Amino acid sequence: MTAPTLGAATAAVPPRRRSTSWTAARRVVLRKPGRVIGLGILVFFALMAILGPYLYPGQLAVDPESIYAPPSGAHWLGTDFAGSDVLQEIVVGARYVLLTASLSALFTAVVGTGVGLVAGYHRGLADSVLMRATDFILTIPAFPLLIVLSTVWSFANPLEMSLVLGLTGWGGVARAVRSQTLSLRERGFLEAARGLGLPTRHIIVKELLPNIAPYVAMQLLLSVIGFIGAEVGLFFLGVVPFSSSNWGVMLNQAVFAGGAMNSPEALGYLLAPLVCILLLTLGVVLFLDAVDELFNPRLRERS
Amino acid sequence: MIEARNITRTYRTRGAFTGERVVQALRGVDFTLPRGGAVSFIGESGCGKTTLGKILTGLETFDGGELVVDGVELSTVPQRRRASYFRRIQMIHQDPYSALNPTRTVDQILGDPLRMRARQTGDRAAGVVDRAAELLELVGLEPDGVLPKYPHQLSGGQRQRVVIARALTVDPEVLIADEAVSMIDVSMRLGILGLLRDLRTRLGISLLFITHDVATARYVGDGGELHVIYRGEVIERGPTDTVIQSPVHPYTQCLLSAVPVMRGLEEPGPDRLVPLAALDERTRTPGCLFAPRCPFADERCTAEHPVLGRTGGVEQEHACFHPVPRRVVAVETV
Amino acid sequence: MTDTVQLTAERAEAAAEVSVRDLTVLYRTDQGELPAVAHADIDLPTGTITGLVGESGSGKSTLALSLMNAIPAPGRISSGSIQVNGVGDVTRLEGRALRRVRGRALGYVFQASQNSLNPLKTVGKQLLDLGRAHDVQDMRGLVRRARELADEMGMDGARVLDSYQHELSGGMRQRVGIVLALVLNARVLILDEPTTALDMLSQAAVLEIVRKVHRQEGLTTLVVTHDMGVVSEIADRLAVMYGGRIVEDGPATEVLQRPAHPYTRALIGATARITGDTDTARALPGRPPDLTTVPRTGCVFRERCPLAMDVCAETEPQLLTWAPDRRRACHADPATTAATGEGA
Ligand SMILES: Nc1ncnc2c1ncn2[C@@H]1O[C@H](COP(=O)(O)OP(=O)(O)OP(=O)(O)O)[C@@H](O)[C@H]1O
Ligand SMILES: Nc1ncnc2c1ncn2[C@@H]1O[C@H](COP(=O)(O)OP(=O)(O)OP(=O)(O)O)[C@@H](O)[C@H]1O
Ligand code: SF4
Ligand code: SF4
Ligand SMILES: [Mg+2]
Ligand SMILES: [Mg+2]
Repeated sequence: MTAPTLGAATAAVPPRRRSTSWTAARRVVLRKPGRVIGLGILVFFALMAILGPYLYPGQLAVDPESIYAPPSGAHWLGTDFAGSDVLQEIVVGARYVLLTASLSALFTAVVGTGVGLVAGYHRGLADSVLMRATDFILTIPAFPLLIVLSTVWSFANPLEMSLVLGLTGWGGVARAVRSQTLSLRERGFLEAARGLGLPTRHIIVKELLPNIAPYVAMQLLLSVIGFIGAEVGLFFLGVVPFSSSNWGVMLNQAVFAGGAMNSPEALGYLLAPLVCILLLTLGVVLFLDAVDELFNPRLRERS
Repeated sequence: MIEARNITRTYRTRGAFTGERVVQALRGVDFTLPRGGAVSFIGESGCGKTTLGKILTGLETFDGGELVVDGVELSTVPQRRRASYFRRIQMIHQDPYSALNPTRTVDQILGDPLRMRARQTGDRAAGVVDRAAELLELVGLEPDGVLPKYPHQLSGGQRQRVVIARALTVDPEVLIADEAVSMIDVSMRLGILGLLRDLRTRLGISLLFITHDVATARYVGDGGELHVIYRGEVIERGPTDTVIQSPVHPYTQCLLSAVPVMRGLEEPGPDRLVPLAALDERTRTPGCLFAPRCPFADERCTAEHPVLGRTGGVEQEHACFHPVPRRVVAVETV
Repeated sequence: MTDTVQLTAERAEAAAEVSVRDLTVLYRTDQGELPAVAHADIDLPTGTITGLVGESGSGKSTLALSLMNAIPAPGRISSGSIQVNGVGDVTRLEGRALRRVRGRALGYVFQASQNSLNPLKTVGKQLLDLGRAHDVQDMRGLVRRARELADEMGMDGARVLDSYQHELSGGMRQRVGIVLALVLNARVLILDEPTTALDMLSQAAVLEIVRKVHRQEGLTTLVVTHDMGVVSEIADRLAVMYGGRIVEDGPATEVLQRPAHPYTRALIGATARITGDTDTARALPGRPPDLTTVPRTGCVFRERCPLAMDVCAETEPQLLTWAPDRRRACHADPATTAATGEGA
């Protein structure tokens, strides 16, 4: 029959060198300048969070001579109510904020994806139980819980904060992943995998997960932003005790102690953390554009 | 190889407004698929063909009847051990575009089931690479070119061949091809059909061929049987050529009349038949299911249910009170 | 170009409802702008059904869409003209004038139109939207006309207008598509793959309806399909496309009986048929080309052609008249391609 001819036709197409995932990823990011900028911003803040505390070790320097000083050569972003350097505070405060937000996001992504996958793939009893649990989680409001917990915990450890934020936040991801899984389940390739008798673990990890990975990755990035907002908000409102210097505390101090709303003095102090949050959001939004292509081999190789 | 006895499957769905909807997807289907044999099921959309295929591959449950694989009645086998029986029956999916995971290369797509199979049989995993190449060659693909590719880098015909190769990884004895060529480019369809025919003769694999395109059923090889299914019930069956050339059930006749005529090369069959109405899955009747659409229905047809049998002195089995052979398919001119 | 070609072209133009001349449509791709349709020349004679066949990616939909000047970005019509009776050159129309032509002069039923109805609106609502978009004054008349058409097509008009997409079967949706295409009294009906997702019985029913409406309304119809069976069942004329070129056209039965292009012949030979010897049927070697893999020089079919010669790699064959009312684009002798036209 035509079998050999088709084989010949395949041979005629020069075998494409399988680019490693790294070069492919680099190509995807380099394809649009926005993505490079986005990635740059994300890397910048990541470095700030990692290296910040080493850059300015020890306590923040307090300089009673210059309180609320305007930006100058010595203090690029001015100083705060205690005369500490704002830039220094931003840099040092980044770790707590970013670490908590990233941990929370990771937590939501892992738990949400796990629950969603298992519920969606197994359906039936597992689905009912997990979804009831999800619904329950969705009804727990994070803010009041944090206020209550703050009477017990000081939230000095980023882990505590992210545990609470993460624990209350995975419901949405779980629901979305479940519905994606349910629809993927009916796709031919999953039916085929089941028909071949491949183990469930294989099906979930190797067949299902890669297909929802872009969604999960996007969710992860977006929830980092969400959690930064939530967390900074909590500190800003002062509902959780200040345990360390961070962006939320800065905002709170600027508005409630520095009167940044009606005097220009503390403006730099107020704007600095705000701009950082905006920049980070911008970075995430710009980079999101690349996520789909990074995970989808079809989009990835076009160039 | 496979014997199905009186398989039934009823779906109950509950819509928000429509109330309960009951669809009898299969109403007692039985057939025997011998080793190396071919049985084709034809019927219009929604008559239960895919449901049957899924039941046979263990992807769908059935609520009545018996399924015998290699002489073992499956309900006597504990649930956990059924997998080894269903392994012998593999499905070739209709849509080669959704049947392959877009995030995995052909290498991985074939490698994983091969490794699993190697563990089951106690073979060395090292043979997996060779085996993948061997299978691809068997289905007429060039291994080096295809193995590193993602599905989207292959044409429809190539994908369908990969799907077939994947089904062969677990050493099946039966292939179930559900509309296996309908999504393939016309120029390459016959290639896939020829491949299926080859697998029958070369590997002794049995083939269950499911389609709504009757003409393709002729291409899966000699000694095949054609079963015509209507609303979950087989209403006519016999050797493929007999059923096509002289169908006796009016539904078969309508179905065959609908095959387009290649004017210029063929003349329309003299007795071409058109159903009186469109399919309505909801109608219930104690009589012949086809009666509301049948041009020859009489009172008996609406009152009594015809059962599959060999009456009226014709070669094939049928479920009709008034079996009359008619020539409905096109006739070659020249 | 020879004199005979000129003559036939003039003869055809006199009676053609739509005549396409030297149409080239480009899509922008990673490898630059590539032609999905190249130098297409075709007439749709008034009152006939023309079948346009070809494999996936051959440019059928692109050609059909350009008749309405509706090529989506990143594509564009780069050259050629499309004369439509009573409208003029469609490629020169823009904006409002173009929108009026779509629907009023040319009715189009999209590929996969089974899924192109709005799932959230009843068919009737969508009909009114259509009327509003075309500034129809007499909405009652429009609805009446739609009901008539639906009734003609064997549906309960009133019920259909009150239905949502999901309440209709595939065949019915296809018919609704035809109703919407014709309700503004278009004279030209373009159907892109009208039966592809349907089973045999629904396909036969839809084809029968196309034939009936075509005759009753005196339309000029273009049916785009990849299925030889479908065209041969209903078309008067047949045009075969490959790699963006029209490689052959002529009266349907003649082309089927005596294909004059190796591709046409191979396509007929590769069609699963209900009669005849199954052993003689042959799949084509190779795979259908797409925009990027189609040969850039010489004949587009040469990589799969059993008759390919040296000249085929160098010069692209022109679509020329070789017998009365028959055209083909091939360097080989017509006798060699037609001799075994049966696929036997
Ligand atoms: N999971 C399900 N739940 C409810 N009804 C179902 C389900 N699967 C199938 N059905 C119904 O059972 C009937 C048979 O469906 P099936 O898919 O087997 O038909 P088919 O012959 O394969 O049709 P097609 O040619 O369209 O693929 C249909 O009426 C369908 O609506
Ligand atoms: N928007 C687009 N951008 C780039 N290329 C396109 C675009 N649309 C179509 N093409 C290419 O143009 C060529 C012709 O496409 P077209 O849709 O006209 O084919 P067709 O004959 O209708 O195929 P099918 O039978 O699959 O519908 C194909 O190679 C296709 O890949
Ligand atoms: S039994 Fe009666 S209604 Fe049924 S197919 Fe035969 S003639 Fe028609
Ligand atoms: S021009 Fe040459 S390659 Fe092209 S179809 Fe004719 S013979 Fe074949
Ligand atoms: Mg089906
Ligand atoms: Mg198309």
